[in-house]
Amino acid sequence: MTIQQIVFIVFALIITAGGVGVLVQRNPLYSAFSLILSFIGLAAMYILMGAQFLGVIQIVVYAGAIMVLFVFVIMLLNVRDDELHPDRHKYLLYIGVPLGLGLIAEVFYVVTRVQIAPAITDMHATGTVGTVERIGVGLLTEYLLPFEATSVLILMAVIGAMHLAKREKE
Amino acid sequence: MPYQAPLPREYYALMPEIAVSITGIVIMMYDAFAPKGSRRGAGYIALAGLVAAGVSVAYLWNESIPPAFSGMLLTDKLRLFFDAIFILVAGVSVLMAMQPLDDERLPAGEYFTLLMFATVGMLLMGGAGDLAMLFLGLETLSITTYVMAGYRRGDLRCNESALKYFILGSFSTGFLLYGIALTYGATKSTNFLKIQQAIASGQITYEPLLTIGVAMILIGLCFKVATAPFHVWTPDVYEGAPTMVTGFMAAGPKAAAFAIFARVFVQVFSPDVPNAANLAATWTDAVALIAVLSMIVGNVIAIQQTNIKRMLAYSSIAHAGYALVGVLARDWQSVAFYMLTYAVMNLGAFTIVTILARQGDEKTELDDYAGIGFHSMGLSVVLMIFMLSLGGIPLTAGFMGKLVIFKQGWQAGFHEVVIIGVLNSAVSLYYYLRPLVVMFFKERETPYVPPKVTAPFYAALAISVIAVFYLGMFPNRTLNALEMNNASKDAKAPAAALPAGGVR
Repeated sequence: MTIQQIVFIVFALIITAGGVGVLVQRNPLYSAFSLILSFIGLAAMYILMGAQFLGVIQIVVYAGAIMVLFVFVIMLLNVRDDELHPDRHKYLLYIGVPLGLGLIAEVFYVVTRVQIAPAITDMHATGTVGTVERIGVGLLTEYLLPFEATSVLILMAVIGAMHLAKREKE
Repeated sequence: MPYQAPLPREYYALMPEIAVSITGIVIMMYDAFAPKGSRRGAGYIALAGLVAAGVSVAYLWNESIPPAFSGMLLTDKLRLFFDAIFILVAGVSVLMAMQPLDDERLPAGEYFTLLMFATVGMLLMGGAGDLAMLFLGLETLSITTYVMAGYRRGDLRCNESALKYFILGSFSTGFLLYGIALTYGATKSTNFLKIQQAIASGQITYEPLLTIGVAMILIGLCFKVATAPFHVWTPDVYEGAPTMVTGFMAAGPKAAAFAIFARVFVQVFSPDVPNAANLAATWTDAVALIAVLSMIVGNVIAIQQTNIKRMLAYSSIAHAGYALVGVLARDWQSVAFYMLTYAVMNLGAFTIVTILARQGDEKTELDDYAGIGFHSMGLSVVLMIFMLSLGGIPLTAGFMGKLVIFKQGWQAGFHEVVIIGVLNSAVSLYYYLRPLVVMFFKERETPYVPPKVTAPFYAALAISVIAVFYLGMFPNRTLNALEMNNASKDAKAPAAALPAGGVR
C-alpha cells in the first residue's frame, strides 16, 4: 500500500463519517458541524489529486463562508425541540433508505465501468493541473469570457439582494 | 498551447452584449444622480441601449465571424436571429413597464437595470459555444428574473411567486449543472465543437454517462421553457408576478431557453454526428413525449381557468409544446420563427392585461373583463387580435408560426405529434375566444372606468400589432432571412451544423 492510498483511505473515512454525522445528529447545528468535517476531508482529496487551489477554495468558501451562512440561518430560525421530529419523517425513512442504497449501487456500477482515458496523465500530486498559476492563466486566457460573464452574474446577485432587502422609504 | 490575445474582431462579435451591459451600468449611474421622482429617464436610456444593440446585431448579420474567445462565443444566424428576438422582447418590456412603475411608485432604476442584465444573460445564451457560457448566461437571466418576479415587495402573492420561482428554479439548475458535469466527464470537454468531435471519434469515457448527462440537461431546459411535466411552477409564478414581468418572462426567457434547446439538441447532439444516432434517438423520443404532454396538459387545464394570467400561463405551456415540434424536426429555423411570433403576440396580450389590471394587479379575473368591449373599444379589439393570433387564426403571426413548425414536423415524419398538435390548437380556440365573448356579450355588474393609455403603452401595442400582422401576412422576408424558403431539405445540412473552424 502506498502512502497515497493510506492517506486516501483515512480522508475517505473522515468524509463518510462526516456525511453519516449530518444524518444522525438530532441537533441541526451538530449536523452543520459534521458537514464541515466532511468538507475538510473533501479538500484533502482535492489536494491529493493535485488540485491544490480547489482544495484551498473548498475550505475557504464551503467550510468557511457557506457554513457560516448555514449556522446563521439555523440559529436565526431557532427551531424548538418539539418541532424537530414531525411525524412524516417516519415513512420517509422507508422510502429514503432504499433510494439511497439504489444510488450507491448505481454509482458503484458506473464508477467501475468508466475507463479512465489515457490522455489524462497529469493527475498525480506532482502535476501542475491544479496550481494557482494554471488556474489564473486559464481564467484570463481560455476562460476570459466566462470569467467576465461571472462578474456580471455576481453584480446582478448584489443588485437583486439589495433591492429585495432594502428598507422601504416612506 | 501558446495563447493569443482576443482579436479586435472577437470583440466585435460581443458588441450586442457589451452595448446592453453598458446601458445597464449607465442606468444605475443615472438613477443614483438623477433628480428624485424622475422615473421615465431610465426607460429612455434602456431603449437607446437596446437600439444600439439591435444595430450591432444587424451589423453582425452579414459578417462571417469564426468562434470567438476560444470557442466560447459562436456567431451564426441562430445566435443573431435569437438576439434580435431578445432585443425586441426587452424593448417592448421596457415600454410596457414605464407607466406601471410610475403608478405604483416602484423604483425604476433597479427595474431597468435588472431588465438590461437579463437581456445580457439571454444574449450570452444565444451565442454560447460552451456549456460553461450556457450555464452563466442562464444563471444571469434566472437571478434577474427571480428578483423581477418579486419586484413588488409589499405584495404577498408577488413574494410567493418569487420564492417559488427561486426554489424550483435553483432545483432545476441543479439538474442542468449535474448534466453538464456528467457530459464533461464523458467527453472531457465543455466546448460544443470538442464534445461533437469526442462523440464522432468515439472517445467517450463511458457512454451511459453521456446519456444521463444529456437527459439531465434536457430536464433542466424543459423546466426553463415550462413544458409538462416540469410545468407546475408556471401558473403560480405567472399569476403572482407583476404583469409586466410576466409578459417578459413568458416571451424572453422562454425564447432564450429555446435558443439553447436548438443549439444543444438540434446542433450538438444531432444524429448527423457520427456515433450519435443512439443518443439522438433517445432524446428524440423523450422530447416527443414531452411535446405531446405539454400540448395536452397546457390546453386542457387552460380551459378551466378564470384568471387571465393563469390562462395565459397554461397557454404558454401549450405553446412550448408546439415549439418542441420544431426541435423534434431538428429545424432550428422554425423554432426561432415560432418564438418570434409567440413573443410578439404574447407581449401584446400582456400589455393589454397590464393596462387593464391597474395597481397591484387587482383586475385579472375574467369577470373584470365583462362588458368592457363597448367602453374600451380600442383595447378590446387589440386584445382580440392577440387572442386570435395565439389561437392561430390565418392572417396573424400565430398562424404562420404554427404552419411553419407543423409543416417541418410533418416532413420530418412526426405525423402523430403534428396531428395531436393541430387538434390541440383547435381546442385552444375555446379559451382564447372566451375573453372576447366575456368582453362583448356579458353584462357588467360593477362600474367601469376606462383606463388611461399613455404613450409608452401605445408604442408597445403598436409594435406588437404591426409585428403580428407583418409576420402573419408577409412572413417571406423573415423566412428568407432564416434561409427557410429554399425548401430543399438537402440544403439543411450546413445550416444545422455548428459554425466550425478557428477554435484555438
